[in-house]
Amino acid sequence: MVTIDLSKQSITEANELIRQCGERGEDVEVLNPDARHHIGVGLTQGIKVRVRGSAGYFCAGLTDGPHFEIDSNVGWGLADNMYQGSVVVGGNAGAIAGVAIRGAEVVVKGNVGSRAGQVMKAGTLCCAGNANFMAGYMMYGGRIIILGNSGEKVGEDMAAGEIFVGGDVQSLGSDASQVAPTAEDLKGIKEFLDKYGLKFNGTFKKIVNAGTKLRYKNPEPPRRNIPFFTFSGTTDYWNEKVQEDIYVKSQMGRYRIRGYGAARPLPHLTDIAFKRDLSQAGRDPDLLKRIKMRTTLGDKHGAKPLDLSMPVMIAPMSFGALSRSAKLALAIASRMSGIAENTGEGGMMDQQRAEADQLIFQCLAGRLGWNVHDMQRANGLEIYISQGAKPGLGGQLMAKKVTKELAAIRGIPEGIDLRSPSRHPDVLGADDLVIKVEEFREATGHRIPVSIKLGAGRVRDDIKIALKDTFDYVELDGLQGSTGAAGAEVLEHVGIPTLAAIQEALDALDEIGAAGQLPIVLMGGIKDGVDAAKALALGASAVAVGTSAIIAGGCIACMQCHIGNCVVGIATQDPEHEKRYNTPIEAVHIHHFLEAMRWQLAAITDGLGYSDVKQLSRDDLVATTPEAAKITGLPYAPEYRDPNLQLKAS
Amino acid sequence: MCGIAGIMYKTPGGGDTGKDLIDMLDGCQHRGPDSTGFALYGAGHDGELLLRFMIVTDDGGTASIDAIRKILGDYNCEILDEETEGGNYRVRVRFTGDLQKFAYALEHGATVISIGSSLEIIKDIGGAHDVDDVYHVARHTGTHGLGHVRLATESDVKPEAAHPFWATGFSDVAIVHNGQITNYWKMRRRLERKGFEFRTDNDSELIAVYLAEKMSHGVALKDALRDSIDDLDGTFSFLVSTKDEIGYAKDRLAVKPMVLYETDDMIAVASEEVSLNRLFPGKALNTMEPAPGTYNTWSRSTYPNNQ
Ligand SMILES: Cc1cc2nc3c(=O)[nH]c(=O)nc-3n(C[C@H](O)[C@H](O)[C@H](O)COP(=O)(O)O)c2cc1C
Repeated sequence: MVTIDLSKQSITEANELIRQCGERGEDVEVLNPDARHHIGVGLTQGIKVRVRGSAGYFCAGLTDGPHFEIDSNVGWGLADNMYQGSVVVGGNAGAIAGVAIRGAEVVVKGNVGSRAGQVMKAGTLCCAGNANFMAGYMMYGGRIIILGNSGEKVGEDMAAGEIFVGGDVQSLGSDASQVAPTAEDLKGIKEFLDKYGLKFNGTFKKIVNAGTKLRYKNPEPPRRNIPFFTFSGTTDYWNEKVQEDIYVKSQMGRYRIRGYGAARPLPHLTDIAFKRDLSQAGRDPDLLKRIKMRTTLGDKHGAKPLDLSMPVMIAPMSFGALSRSAKLALAIASRMSGIAENTGEGGMMDQQRAEADQLIFQCLAGRLGWNVHDMQRANGLEIYISQGAKPGLGGQLMAKKVTKELAAIRGIPEGIDLRSPSRHPDVLGADDLVIKVEEFREATGHRIPVSIKLGAGRVRDDIKIALKDTFDYVELDGLQGSTGAAGAEVLEHVGIPTLAAIQEALDALDEIGAAGQLPIVLMGGIKDGVDAAKALALGASAVAVGTSAIIAGGCIACMQCHIGNCVVGIATQDPEHEKRYNTPIEAVHIHHFLEAMRWQLAAITDGLGYSDVKQLSRDDLVATTPEAAKITGLPYAPEYRDPNLQLKAS
Repeated sequence: MCGIAGIMYKTPGGGDTGKDLIDMLDGCQHRGPDSTGFALYGAGHDGELLLRFMIVTDDGGTASIDAIRKILGDYNCEILDEETEGGNYRVRVRFTGDLQKFAYALEHGATVISIGSSLEIIKDIGGAHDVDDVYHVARHTGTHGLGHVRLATESDVKPEAAHPFWATGFSDVAIVHNGQITNYWKMRRRLERKGFEFRTDNDSELIAVYLAEKMSHGVALKDALRDSIDDLDGTFSFLVSTKDEIGYAKDRLAVKPMVLYETDDMIAVASEEVSLNRLFPGKALNTMEPAPGTYNTWSRSTYPNNQ
């Protein structure tokens, strides 16, 4: 047994030591914990860890296998995301005990705070005392046993799983119902209680999902939708898109869900131009050899940065919205072009990890597919707060896409219309976000960058919070950003345009004297290297592409993404549809597109007389519309407007 | 976007308010690295007021201090002692009269930090130890006090925006607050119509004035806190203090944490247990987390042997 004294050692040193003990198979005793946060985070071996006192937030978080015993109390987020193993707490636990567990056995001998077992997927959370409100909030599976009383709204929006309450139930949550426990249930509970030496003589009430909200009542009507490009091109009041919209709503009686982004005219990068005539740029065949484009991202706090061959990345897109084959094509293309791929929501696949040289692992509020092993083999971690297509809202993944395989990775029931939560259980403000970031760093030994994905809404505040909460860089996504599925009204109207987003972000940093201190990766409607060059000149450190990469990889914008009927096998989980996708060929197509971006970036940089993309600056730009000038503060110069565009407008 | 702390001693002489609050705030500085503040209650004297101001120090503070002295003169204050410390001017005066009028006059001509017979607020940018280095917070002993660490999102972090806030116009009332009041403007307009003034757009100042207004009509602090849970919308976890009381209120969603620890000698409250543990290193504390939607108060006068 190894003894670690937290009055003498920092928590980071202690966690490193605990992990080393794990590798040697030695048990650990932690002295003087004094309610410090992150004790034991990131441990993946089956050793015993005895904490002599109280622990703070995220004790035993992001672990798989160990057995923790804490003598006294614990703070928020006990056993966060724990896979196998057990935790026994002698005292009370704060809010969200057992959050997102995926198999662990968590026992709290005292009381638990609010939202115990939020978004848990499997395992058992047992509280010998009373539970505060919303126990089992949005749980997807597993078992909660409360021997005492339970507060309001037990099982609020639970999708699956079972909650047993020995005392009083103050009230049931929405979509929860009370049923009689079976003999088998009671036998299982008794075995569990015996195992942990807990006594209980009363009777249990059982609470399960009532099944009223798991599926949308009215499915999307079968209809050949209008391709995105057809309906997004015009501004008339009564166009094909409007007509279709009305038709679809008249069938369903609810809001529409669709893929892609905003389809209305917005000020964009197209409305700014380079001051120089670049028509002769790019004649030099050795261009790519001369122009420096290599970009590193994420070493602000000592981590090993991403090393990009050019300031471009693949935008995070979920395995779920996209098929396995499409995700693999993106991973391969990212490697071929020397840039980074991002898992998006829904977990990491082995093949994807193998194919992508640099892979960012994204953590969303539902913690669907999130786990410590994939964190530790990622090249970067990212907390998703929101995305441009639907800032402030959760995601949608309709039933057809929630297949057996997908449900297993995510830890959720098969075949539900998945509406993933909009809020992280443990991020309710900048003050706890910083504790979350630290948890990620502890789980990965501070070795890899931690970024934040923000949909453009309240950018000015969000960027400052991102800086102060020690993120390494920001992925900022404007209103034009696409999605696999979102409410149509939200897609069109919620958020601010990409151009406004980058400007607000830069202004915010300027305001607090932090210009240049937080790299920003801009996305949302970046369609080529020209847009990328403009974004960089405005002040972004890199750009990310979603839609354009998908189109390069074969998307025909048939608008079936949300239903999962993608005809080319990209945005689907249907094996019949996916068969049509030729991953190696499409990977090369995406790679070609990325190389075209590279060439454009190089040509523009060269044409402006520079040798490094980092030299691009605002001084190279003008605004060609009054709106763009107002948003960016660039000089208004209508004479630079693209004559072809002018013709179209008149 | 912050961390809060509060302490009240049950013992006759009080305790090391400054030192204890510094420890507690240092323990949760991760919740707010930008500014730190303290509301410290010492022994007061009837008829005397302790005033603290922020001054412009470019000229050694002369202009600011002259302006303050003039108002003090207008209101027939007798200056008992005065000093400058960091960017602050601290003055003890003898004053009788309408305190609210006097306070508003001072607010219009100077940057008031606190007014009270026993309350002193010290706040500035930086961490708990940075503020202590300038203002010698650790030297303060007393009966009770509050503390606050803050993460700021405004243009530049100004000491005025640091917490605690005093209830503008009311002596000896201070507040520290974690959260966000979403019906801020509605509540503020309501109070403004009654003639109250606001120094900042900060929702913490609103809570302080809201509670102080109730107390000025003879409503007990505890009842005012009960009402606040119904009247205020949003997420909040706040601590309020008066000359001899400390109280808390917590919204019904319990989004903002608060942990409490009581011994025979003291009561301590903080956002996180790690702050409480700073006062008792190496000891597992039998803490308690106030339930959502609850409030409570402690009063010095209820501890029998504290006189
Ligand atoms: C099919 C699809 C799935 C997406 N899934 C995610 C996701 O899981 N996480 C995320 O942060 N953004 C997601 N996004 C948004 C993209 O990361 C990105 O913000 C957006 O695509 C950028 O705009 P663009 O498509 O115009 O390049 C998704 C987008 C698409 C098209």
